[in-house]
Amino acid sequence: MEIEARTEGEVFRDALHGIGELLAGDAAGERIWREVRVDGRERAALLVGWLDELVYLAGTEDLVPEDAERVDFSGRGLVATVRCHRGSPRHLIKAATYHRLAFERSAQGFRARVVLDV
Amino acid sequence: MSEVAQAGVHGFRQVDEVVWELGVEARADMRVPARVFADRDLISQIAADRSLEQLRNVATLPGITGAALAMPDIHQGYGFPVGGVAATEPPDGVVSPGGVGYDINCGVRLLALPVAARELGSRAEALVHEISRRVPVGAGHGGGLQLRGPAFDRLLVQGPRILLAEHGVGTAEDVEHTESDGCLDGADPATVSERARARGADQLGTLGSGNHFLEVQRVARILDRSAADVFGLREEQVAVLIHSGSRGFGHQVCSDYVRAMDAVQARYRIRLPDRELACAPLSSPEGRRYLAAMACAANFAWGNRAVLAHRVRESVARILGARVADETRQVYDVAHNVAKLETYHGRELCVHRKGATRAFPAGSLEIPSAFRAVGQPVFIPGSMGTSSFVLVGRPGAMERSFGTTCHGAGRRMSRTGARRQVTGVELRRQLEAQGIVVRCPSNRGLAEEAPFAYKDVERVVAVVERAGLAGRVAQLVPIGVVKG
Repeated sequence: MEIEARTEGEVFRDALHGIGELLAGDAAGERIWREVRVDGRERAALLVGWLDELVYLAGTEDLVPEDAERVDFSGRGLVATVRCHRGSPRHLIKAATYHRLAFERSAQGFRARVVLDV
Repeated sequence: MSEVAQAGVHGFRQVDEVVWELGVEARADMRVPARVFADRDLISQIAADRSLEQLRNVATLPGITGAALAMPDIHQGYGFPVGGVAATEPPDGVVSPGGVGYDINCGVRLLALPVAARELGSRAEALVHEISRRVPVGAGHGGGLQLRGPAFDRLLVQGPRILLAEHGVGTAEDVEHTESDGCLDGADPATVSERARARGADQLGTLGSGNHFLEVQRVARILDRSAADVFGLREEQVAVLIHSGSRGFGHQVCSDYVRAMDAVQARYRIRLPDRELACAPLSSPEGRRYLAAMACAANFAWGNRAVLAHRVRESVARILGARVADETRQVYDVAHNVAKLETYHGRELCVHRKGATRAFPAGSLEIPSAFRAVGQPVFIPGSMGTSSFVLVGRPGAMERSFGTTCHGAGRRMSRTGARRQVTGVELRRQLEAQGIVVRCPSNRGLAEEAPFAYKDVERVVAVVERAGLAGRVAQLVPIGVVKG
């Protein structure tokens, strides 16, 4: 997954949208909001943790992420409110990996790369 | 010597018929040479992806000894190549979760039925269908044996022997005929996250997706009669090969510890060319905790394959009768994603095998007494629709590869690449035209595992035989396949 965005928050939001597209199945049930917390300071590791949280919600609760309504970074990590729907997610993604992981500034803002274990 | 051998492949030079090596001087951060077992054709295929670069990266791990090794089925993985072997020496040598892989103790179990293929006859399709009904496939859950709390912890600590004692799954011989008796010592459930438990609790007895499969096979050829007799295999016999691992449980354990180790690289002054190789000294708290959690996942995986074998026996009982099910024997069960403490020339080493199989020779006290005269059985699944092989460990493995051989054919094309070349519908038709029964709910998943996406398993097996790592015992061909 390669992402280019103007802000760090947008990188995380775009990553969520990408995961949501990959997971989305046919059914779309009740809408649910979840607070997601990921500890850590370094952005690349936070991004892996963020994607792992979304994969975990899909794998254990059949929640498909739709959007992040709030993404706040603090010294300890990130806190976000994620809007999801309960559905039949395709369990294509098993984990986000650190393989060739990147999160860096670019001319347009930020560029990130995460390899997913499928 | 050929032009290729003289010029080398990505700097790797041919040092004998089936060994290619990159010297330690090739890159400043390499601590040992990198060595690949391959013939000329395979090394060219291997060079097409990033696996040789990944092998060079493995050679930088602190405490690595001998060489960073690759089997002929090597292909690109996450950080550490699939088909890679790295031995590190305690106390300062490291353990790397990426060197084991996400699917901890992914492995293969072979069951031998007391019937010949001609006796199975027209009931083959019914048998494959019955297995597909009883074994949940895909990435979901619900294996029918749900363990919670202390019962789940006992599985993590003791492996399949607890399933036999408390749930009547398997036989005492099954447990004995499993690598390490299906139980890695040192498993500590306290080192496993709640998240891993949540992912694994209802996945016991599920096959999974990707390259995991369950195949009904026929023994087409016996190549080493004395070893085949010891393994209980004969020509035309029906067998079932089970390929699965530790499911979401193992994935979560790996994810948890890659992250934990990534966070302490600076503390141990470890600098790595790829963060997925994150590691910690074997003697460190992080290293010890990972080994304890990895052992839990390995024991879970052996339990998972034990439940899958139980479902196969139930299917055999329904289609072929209770006597045939009762006389269905487990030949052996081997792990191909694991790190183990083993002794070589008096030194205790931590041998990481990622997509590589232990292959101990005759005389090893680590293998069941029944096999000690000939060596350990090793199972090498081919790609769908092609042959699989039963091998036996040879002494050369102890001298050249830390007691290791290959684990399969090895990918040579990405999943996306395979899907571009064939549709699942087409492939299903081709396999059925060969007389192979196919049960797979996903056409996409089927296409990704197309035979042409893999290297030639016969060539891979020939290399490990020529290298003296393992010898061929039997060739098996598919009758039917159940895939996730």
